[in-house]
Amino acid sequence: MLYLRATFFVIGGPDYLLADFGYIGILLIIAVLFTVSTLLLPLTLALFGIVPKKSNPTKVSTYECGMETIGKTWVQFNFRYYFFAILFVAFDVLTVFLYPWAVNLKGLGVYGLAVIVVFFAILMVGYVYAWFKGALEWK
Amino acid sequence: MEIGDFRLLAPEISLLGCVLLVILLDLFIKQKRILATVSIAGLIVSAGFTLVMWGTPPVVILSRTLAVDAFALFFKFLFLVVAALIILASQDYVNKFERFQGEYYALVLISAVGMMLLAAATDLIAIYVALELSGISLYVLVGFLKDQKSSEAGLKFLLLGAVASAVLLYGMTLVFGFTGRTCLMCIADFLQGMPATGILDNLALLLGLILLVAGFGFKIACFPFQMWVPDVYEGAPTPITAYLSVASKVAGFAVILRVFFVALGAPDWMSLNWGMLFAILSAITMTVGNIVAIVQSNIKRMLGYSSIAQAGYLLVGLATVGMATGSDTSGQSGLIFFLMSYAVTNLGAFIAVIAISNKIDSDAIDDYAGMGRQASLLAVALTFCLISLIGLPPTAGLIAKIYIFSGAVRHGLLWLVIVAVVNSCISAFYYLRVVKVMWLGVPPSKEKVPSSWALRTALAVCCLLVLLLGVVPGSFVSIAETATRFFGS
Repeated sequence: MLYLRATFFVIGGPDYLLADFGYIGILLIIAVLFTVSTLLLPLTLALFGIVPKKSNPTKVSTYECGMETIGKTWVQFNFRYYFFAILFVAFDVLTVFLYPWAVNLKGLGVYGLAVIVVFFAILMVGYVYAWFKGALEWK
Repeated sequence: MEIGDFRLLAPEISLLGCVLLVILLDLFIKQKRILATVSIAGLIVSAGFTLVMWGTPPVVILSRTLAVDAFALFFKFLFLVVAALIILASQDYVNKFERFQGEYYALVLISAVGMMLLAAATDLIAIYVALELSGISLYVLVGFLKDQKSSEAGLKFLLLGAVASAVLLYGMTLVFGFTGRTCLMCIADFLQGMPATGILDNLALLLGLILLVAGFGFKIACFPFQMWVPDVYEGAPTPITAYLSVASKVAGFAVILRVFFVALGAPDWMSLNWGMLFAILSAITMTVGNIVAIVQSNIKRMLGYSSIAQAGYLLVGLATVGMATGSDTSGQSGLIFFLMSYAVTNLGAFIAVIAISNKIDSDAIDDYAGMGRQASLLAVALTFCLISLIGLPPTAGLIAKIYIFSGAVRHGLLWLVIVAVVNSCISAFYYLRVVKVMWLGVPPSKEKVPSSWALRTALAVCCLLVLLLGVVPGSFVSIAETATRFFGS
């Protein structure tokens, strides 16, 4: 909520905001230019004969400097992982909120502490629920 | 940030506390009926807080994200009543699922919290969060039976709901991008500052507003976004179908009212355009709903299409609000009264269907033959609610239709009212067919249809409210008129 409030005051008006979109536009242009130029660079160098054209099977293979895959790529993962995945996401989000709070612990004061405690308590209910339902056991 | 702000959120916070209690109790308690009692108690406490706050001057809290005004409080109370009736009506039904009864109650309550926040939200971000809070719990509830139909319904609802959310979010980003604000009152201020034809030049902003209509249109199931209704209504557990068709739809109308007539209703010419948009949507929605309902043989599907048609009548109210100028709130109050009457009527019809279908284990209309003799009271209640859905005296439906249509006529929507009246006549055909089958059909057995006292109480409350709204509408009309007081209007 504090961050929401901050946003309201920072954004002065639409002009301010459209200027921000301008930066995104510049970034977009740079990204496109970078991609296109890296793709074109080897072609250009080859065109002027700067790099040699000596092809061999290792060089043209897909993973020239990686590991060869062993077995099929369509491996099935055990579905039990999804419990852990969901719990992980829940606590990941908790951490996302805990870090900014911890950094500004003094500034946010008792109010911030209370908000975090409530948030933590709600997540803990989920944890207790998962625990009692046996989601943490590998059967 | 004021600590006092949280005091004004007492209804939501107390209900959320109740949800956590239900989840924790569910882990330790074998007797699941207690959970239903706890849920009802939580709803009553929350409703008590809402009633205490009724009549306090409107304020916005938490950095202009939530409003506490008569409008929000009215809808909060309505959602609480609907959730309580749904839980009462589920008492027979929950035996169908051996496991996960606690989760069922918790999810119903969570989605009620989401809808309460939705009615109060005055900020695009808060609206989205509230919408998802109610939506995600409903996705789970729809697939709760875990049989083939229910899972299919749940998956369909999830996928289409996600698409609708994406469309809504895209609309919100466009509105935010071109106004630079997320709070509705601030958007209204910004639009008022624009030159009179500014919004039509600004096509991106217009596109954003149209996408908002699409996103909310999914929630209320109005014309081009109604495809999900029949399948989802048929597959979902019947109490959840009732919940979807009543609470979810009412929440959608509440948020549309707030967004379109707080944020975007400022310049008169613009509301006029919205009025016409909603009028056309309304005419198509009610015609599609009624005509397709005629050929349905499953009562849940039929009530699904009927709820699409009812959304069409409700849109007449939105169109009236758009057409009205100045301080005339007859459109809003008509719409709110119609929402009230629709909620109790449709809920009553669904509760009767829950009781009957639970016994005969079928949703086919033909299997309802002879219910008049097998279960007289249930059949009387269902007949009464269906009559109210048509809009015949002495029921809530009649008064609601007169109220909403007279407002529309006064604002130059006579053509729409004629379409609506013709539609009501068409709808009488399929509603009365159920009545005919029940009373004139030959029952296959003489066996009585049992129902629990909880379900009977819920049904009695619904029928009583339908009757009261139809016979002594005066006090309810004045409540509806009070509830039109938005913050910032």
